[in-house]
Amino acid sequence: MANEESVDARTAEALLRRFEPVIRFTKGEWFYPMDCEPYVDACSLWVARPDEDAVCVVPAGELTLEKLAQQPEDTTGAVHYLKIPNPKEDENRGRRARRSHTNPDWPKETFRAGRGRLARVGYISRLADALFSLMLLARGRVPGGDVEGGRVLYGRYMEEKQRFTYHGNVVRQDGWIVLRYWLFYAFNDWRSNVFGANDHEADWEKIFIYLSDSESGEVRPEWVAYAAHEETGDDLRRRWDDPELEKVGEHPVAYVCAGSHATRYFRGEYLTELAFPLPRAISVVRRILRRFWYVTLRQYAADEYREKSYEQFTIPFVDYGRGDGWAVGPGQDREWDPPRLMNPVPPWISEYRGLWGLYTRDPFQGEDAPAGPMYNRDKTISREWFDPVGWAGLDKVPTRAEELEVITGRQAEIEERRDLLRSELREKSGRLKALGMDAEATRDQSHLSKLHENQTRHIKELSGEVETLRAQLSDDEVLAESLEDHAESLRGGERPPAGAHIMHAARPVSEEETHAGRVAQLWASISIALVLVTLILIIAYERSHLLSALVFAIAVFAFIEAGFRRRLTRFIVSLNVALAIVGALVLLEHYFWSVIVLAVLAVGLYILWENLRELGR
Amino acid sequence: MYRQARLLGVLLLLQVVAMVGLGVWLFSRFDWDRAMKITSGSGKINVQTIDGPWLEPLVRALLFAVYFLGPVVLLLLAGLGFVLLRRRGWMLASVAQALIMLACLFFYGASRPWFAYALIAYSIFMILLLNSRSVRTVVHRRRLTPTEARPEIARGE
Repeated sequence: MANEESVDARTAEALLRRFEPVIRFTKGEWFYPMDCEPYVDACSLWVARPDEDAVCVVPAGELTLEKLAQQPEDTTGAVHYLKIPNPKEDENRGRRARRSHTNPDWPKETFRAGRGRLARVGYISRLADALFSLMLLARGRVPGGDVEGGRVLYGRYMEEKQRFTYHGNVVRQDGWIVLRYWLFYAFNDWRSNVFGANDHEADWEKIFIYLSDSESGEVRPEWVAYAAHEETGDDLRRRWDDPELEKVGEHPVAYVCAGSHATRYFRGEYLTELAFPLPRAISVVRRILRRFWYVTLRQYAADEYREKSYEQFTIPFVDYGRGDGWAVGPGQDREWDPPRLMNPVPPWISEYRGLWGLYTRDPFQGEDAPAGPMYNRDKTISREWFDPVGWAGLDKVPTRAEELEVITGRQAEIEERRDLLRSELREKSGRLKALGMDAEATRDQSHLSKLHENQTRHIKELSGEVETLRAQLSDDEVLAESLEDHAESLRGGERPPAGAHIMHAARPVSEEETHAGRVAQLWASISIALVLVTLILIIAYERSHLLSALVFAIAVFAFIEAGFRRRLTRFIVSLNVALAIVGALVLLEHYFWSVIVLAVLAVGLYILWENLRELGR
Repeated sequence: MYRQARLLGVLLLLQVVAMVGLGVWLFSRFDWDRAMKITSGSGKINVQTIDGPWLEPLVRALLFAVYFLGPVVLLLLAGLGFVLLRRRGWMLASVAQALIMLACLFFYGASRPWFAYALIAYSIFMILLLNSRSVRTVVHRRRLTPTEARPEIARGE
């Protein structure tokens, strides 16, 4: 990479081991970070070409990391992918082995969602969740047998010897030394085992630690960034001295969510929304309505109203990062094995651009396996690989050693610019005054009226320029003062608040929500079925009062739901808004012509008023 | 800051006055003299004399009372709450508006008398006012501070 410098293997390993993270898993997790080599050895390699059936190019048992790097039979539009062997297919082929070999005793514990999972999301979400599950039948999905394949593959690996491995890579970028811990999991079983959004074979997750060279020549940890789903930017990272960042000595602590393997800073249960873009037409209408509601009608919004560049439909899921399962890392029950080093970058990373598991052709890509650490699914190089500093929003942040140097440089730059501005201002002010005198001299002289007009126009333009220059000068003065104050506080050892850069921190849901009551949970479990049965009963027996009965039934269900979810205020507001819209339509229908006449009358009166005002001037 | 709450209270009380006035007007349209003549007789009521179109105004007035007595009481409490206690009564007022709208839209769905339109229009105005940023900021100042964790957006992995 042009903007990166690699680090020699020995230094890289020493740094990686010194700061390697402690990872706390959720009880019932099936898959832990493993070395990717035994996974690749067990898989087969396939190629899918557009409009063609996928072809196996290297069968299971013959694939190695070296062969993977060759990426055989590459053509335009081809997608290479690995496939975990399906134990049932193996059996059908007569490959029966010892019982312990075909059916390992794994996992040791099963995941329990606990009370309150469904009670945390509303009707719409539950219904959308049901539809989402149905939709999976139509779109590409990882078959159920593959989870079993993943379980067997990983179970055999763990039966041999319990090993926990990460893949490490260290680079220098923009003054930072970036320690990249890549965690490889054989399977993402979020949907199958944890009631989440998706499943996919293979999962590459990451934790980055950002070090800088201190004045004494030692390396100093400054920031960490944990990956969670596809989040990027400032919200991902925490400062090393942030009291919220848990550490064991020099090892940051991360909580990995069950199934999805999203990495979190705090233990707990997180509400994660799976987003789908809305069709363009619906998006435009929704944006207009939102603007009318919140800006024109000045209606209340719980969060500050913001114009969105895109609209999306979201389905909430829960990410369980309880940290009550195994802990892996220095000083824990289970320690890391020596890492698989990626300094220098091995060919299986740089040359293999395919997916690390099943390619399901899912249009939303949620069920497709991920590509390796270096690539995106579309074979472009991933940002976290070519720009690990920018990925966590650190590209605008100097290292601690650079801070004062950057401020001094900036102050010099501003001073130079201020000198230039001052001289330009002097020159333009002088010209403006001269022009002013010219204009005064030519005023009220008929033979010089053209000249006077030109002078007036020039004065206006020049006056605008002088005003802009003065504003710039004033801004620069304020900026220079602020930089000086900031430099002073840094010299005094002060640091800005550790969380100042975070806009929307991912935090677990409250204890109160996590432990929803038994009745609320029961209600959440049966409510969707009850709604459907009620709808059927109404259609069957109350067809004469269909509309009223439907409205009444929906209102009753929504009211009970709002009560359980402690959202009565929101329910009342929504109900009132819906009623107000229906009421407005009824009024419009009844007084349609009167409304039209009044509107035309109002427009006419407005025009008349404007014209009369103009006359009166 | 509390001027907004008081104004809201006054508008709610105005709604109470208007609805009570409507109720009184509806009851006044009934022929009470004729009713008195029937009931003050020998204690026997001729069924044919009470069964007729002259009873319709009474039925209409009674239905009005049944539909709107509850909301009027809620509006009165909410209005007094806003005027006297400055910030109380938002929920009562909102529930009352919902009940009024439901009554106007569903119970008067077929016949829909003229006053139903007036009530709908006023309720729409009050719903928008109750949900406006300025009013809710005043009445829910403490409770609506956003402390909830914001969910993350994911697209797959």
